[in-house]
Amino acid sequence: MWLVFKKEIKELIRDRKTLFFMIALPLLIFPLIIGIVGFVSKQAIDKAETQILNYALIGGQYAPDIVQDLQQPDKFNFVEVSEGADYTAIIRSETVDFVLVIPENYSSNVLDNGQANVKLYFNDAGLNLVYRRVNEIVKSQSELFQQRAFSDLGLDEAKQSALIEPIVLEKVNTADARENWGEKIGGMLPYVLFLLCLTGAMAPATDIGAGEKERGTLETLLISPIDRNKIVMGKFLTIAFAGTMTALLTVTSMVVWGLVLSQGMAIKFVADFMAQIAMHDFLLIFLMLVPVVAIFAAVLLSISIYAKSFKEAQSYMGPMSILVVVPIMLALLPGVELKGVWAWVPITNVSLAMKELVKGTMDYYQLFAIFGSTVIIAGALFAFCVYWFNQEKVLFR
Amino acid sequence: MIEIKKLAKKFAVENPKNLSEQEKKDPRLKGRFFHSVQDVSFICKKGEVLGLLGPNGAGKTTTLRMLSTALKPDSGSVEIDGENVLAQPVIARKKIGFLSGSTGLYGRLTGRENIHYFGQLHGMNEKSIANRIQELADLLDMHSFLDRRSENFSTGMKQKTAIARAVVHSPELVILDEPTTGLDIMATQTVLEFIRGLKEQGTPVIFSTHHLDEVQELCDQVTVIDQGRTMFDGDIASFKALAEGSLHQSFMAAIQ
Repeated sequence: MWLVFKKEIKELIRDRKTLFFMIALPLLIFPLIIGIVGFVSKQAIDKAETQILNYALIGGQYAPDIVQDLQQPDKFNFVEVSEGADYTAIIRSETVDFVLVIPENYSSNVLDNGQANVKLYFNDAGLNLVYRRVNEIVKSQSELFQQRAFSDLGLDEAKQSALIEPIVLEKVNTADARENWGEKIGGMLPYVLFLLCLTGAMAPATDIGAGEKERGTLETLLISPIDRNKIVMGKFLTIAFAGTMTALLTVTSMVVWGLVLSQGMAIKFVADFMAQIAMHDFLLIFLMLVPVVAIFAAVLLSISIYAKSFKEAQSYMGPMSILVVVPIMLALLPGVELKGVWAWVPITNVSLAMKELVKGTMDYYQLFAIFGSTVIIAGALFAFCVYWFNQEKVLFR
Repeated sequence: MIEIKKLAKKFAVENPKNLSEQEKKDPRLKGRFFHSVQDVSFICKKGEVLGLLGPNGAGKTTTLRMLSTALKPDSGSVEIDGENVLAQPVIARKKIGFLSGSTGLYGRLTGRENIHYFGQLHGMNEKSIANRIQELADLLDMHSFLDRRSENFSTGMKQKTAIARAVVHSPELVILDEPTTGLDIMATQTVLEFIRGLKEQGTPVIFSTHHLDEVQELCDQVTVIDQGRTMFDGDIASFKALAEGSLHQSFMAAIQ
């Protein structure tokens, strides 16, 4: 059994393609991609912020303050447009970036003239900060008018805020910060971990079953004097090992990169959050991966040995990542908690447990149900693998 | 000595629509089953080389796979030195060295590692594996490429490595399924030399082939199979005597 395992690992390590997916991708490529996307989007936002916007103003005579505020040559550029023009057309032809239409009743005396409905015409598809930039100006005016109205009415500050919002519904969260963030982060954790385990295990799984069949080495292996279940075990362990390693490496790289990239505030938050999770909870999270990986490995190996070729194996394995997401999503549904029947649903129970562990509200007795059900399922799948490996119609398809 | 009696093997046909035209017309297709091998018997004694002949699809590979215990026969018996192999496949696997027609190597391992792995699977210790690899490399002239990754090997290099791998455990019986198909003349010659060497050592060899000149050169016994049945089983002299002229004529006469 270890013989088969050792040889498969040796082959795996020499396979640059698989290794690339297992190690380089999570370690370097993902942070790089995230970095590039972040950089480019920051550039785009900066550009949208500093870009000089061409604008047309209708009814400017009613709002001299706004006219004055818009006179910032490094931000806005006035374009003369006749009042009856088709605003949509001139925006589409890029003559102007926006048209601001100020109504006649615009006045600082809101008590007499009522609410002013200022219209902003612009193309809101795609990334642009037109609304935000114009709103900055309009809002400051609006607040000024509000203040003036309040002082005209002779309201003190307490009355003012009561008038703006007569009733306030205040949230008082009894969950501590860990529980609060744990629910969110802990819910995402299984997605990341499970899918990484699965992708990490897929490449070696294809190679180990369908790959051997395609290359013609399987027959020779089968007639060597070693028990079939030892061959299966060796291959199974290789796949499980590859899956676990991928998940571990990726999580480690995420933590490291997270610490490197985030600075100041965020680092303190992450450090505080991590400090609240006990070491044995961390260990349990990773221990919990073991039976899940065992399920994955057994399923992948069965698929792989059934498939006639690499291509066939890959097309069977493709839908698996979608199937895996379903039980994880179940764990995020309201009302699904780690007790009763749900503690026995494979994958869902582990997702729930991971969440509970991160939140710090784990009921440790449920571990029996979790390990019990996953071990039974993984064991059954493994037995099926061994059975599959003894079927002529599977091996010599 | 290996004795095969009345071997038979049928395969379930899962989807009859997927069969080729030729297979649909084949009389061996009966209902849901394709009776690939129906009645094959032959004997190969110590120091003899047996050539297994037959048209494509006659059941040669299936027969050899049953001998190697990769497939389980439905009926019949395979005895090596009087021991029933089918009851104890693991023992049989230690006694037999099998090279299948479609065999491959682990491309990311070197030639030496490929052979070494199978030595280990056969339960050999490090020292005897090393010695045996040295011996086989001398015999098959493999030293120049033994420590290179086998994915870059030529067909001849691959076949030599595959042969070395098949016989690393010094088997009592060697079975080769079309060992020379697709090889160039030099590589073919090496393979034939190797079979001759085995014969001189007294190791029986069973090999299937389409090349009658190889049969002429090496074989003591000839078995011809067609449509899953033994059509001829005897020594080379009586095979020649089947028809006047070339061995091709004899072969045609055997499958008539």
